[in-house]
Amino acid sequence: MQEKFLLFRVGGEIYGLRLRGLREVLLPDGVRLVSSPPHQVCVTLEHRGRKIPVIRMSALFEASPAGIPLTARVLLTQGQARPFGLLVDEVLEVAEVDPARVGPLPALATLLPPSCFRGLFTRQDHIILLVNEDGLGGLDEVVQFYAAGS
Amino acid sequence: MARTDTVSPGVTLDEASVLMFLVAGKQFAVDLSRVQHILDYQAPTRTPRRPPYVEGIIQHKGRYLPLVSLRKRLGVEGPDPENPAILLLAGVGQDPVVGLMVDQVVRVLSLPAEKLLAPPPRVFGIRAEFIRGVANAGGRPVVWLDGAKLLTSAEPITLLA
Repeated sequence: MQEKFLLFRVGGEIYGLRLRGLREVLLPDGVRLVSSPPHQVCVTLEHRGRKIPVIRMSALFEASPAGIPLTARVLLTQGQARPFGLLVDEVLEVAEVDPARVGPLPALATLLPPSCFRGLFTRQDHIILLVNEDGLGGLDEVVQFYAAGS
Repeated sequence: MARTDTVSPGVTLDEASVLMFLVAGKQFAVDLSRVQHILDYQAPTRTPRRPPYVEGIIQHKGRYLPLVSLRKRLGVEGPDPENPAILLLAGVGQDPVVGLMVDQVVRVLSLPAEKLLAPPPRVFGIRAEFIRGVANAGGRPVVWLDGAKLLTSAEPITLLA
């Protein structure tokens, strides 16, 4: 049975987020930097009366920084029972993926926690890395945001 | 270089078959039995926050493999050569197969035990821990690398000219 993923771009590469994990897609209006470390990758967004932590994916992935492009969007999701957003450079399209075609991410491929990713698949000769919202929700930046009672 | 009867610990054999290649003009080799395939260069997909010597990932026969730049692992600066080769190596780390990008593949070499020497403490700036042995090919040294130790250690290396 195929699973749907929302494809998005961060820097020069394409990633995917499971569609059933997606709550909303928002404009990045009102994104605010958090003043105190260690929230370097985390900003905040006011949404429906509450502050939501938003992970700047270009900072987390160490992609080209260059500010927030006009095409940027915030993908509102939830991981480990914590709502949070992913600030991405551009939302692309929805793709259907056969779970049997998703391969594991090699251990050497990244220094980020493996739990942040579901795996890899290939679409039209592009290798796409699938993120895991549960793993991202467990990142220090998100955990400490909620622990601080922000 | 002093001759010894055996090379690095764990290497006692009559003859070793290795694949010889070039990086920054120097001759290196890996155990031929670890080499699954030799590929032409393919541009990798860049993965986020990868180790400095990892170029990204490539796909081969349905598998996703990390692509390691041996130039970067050995601290060689400057641009990559135009047509590097990729050696697919098995059993050199946590991943079942790793792609190792080298400047140029030369040939298969058979090294009789008596022609294989234990490395001195450093060869071209590389510590002996990462070297299985040293031999001579075409009047020049060939450094037989321990791929597993090289790729599982985070110790920085700077290849000397």
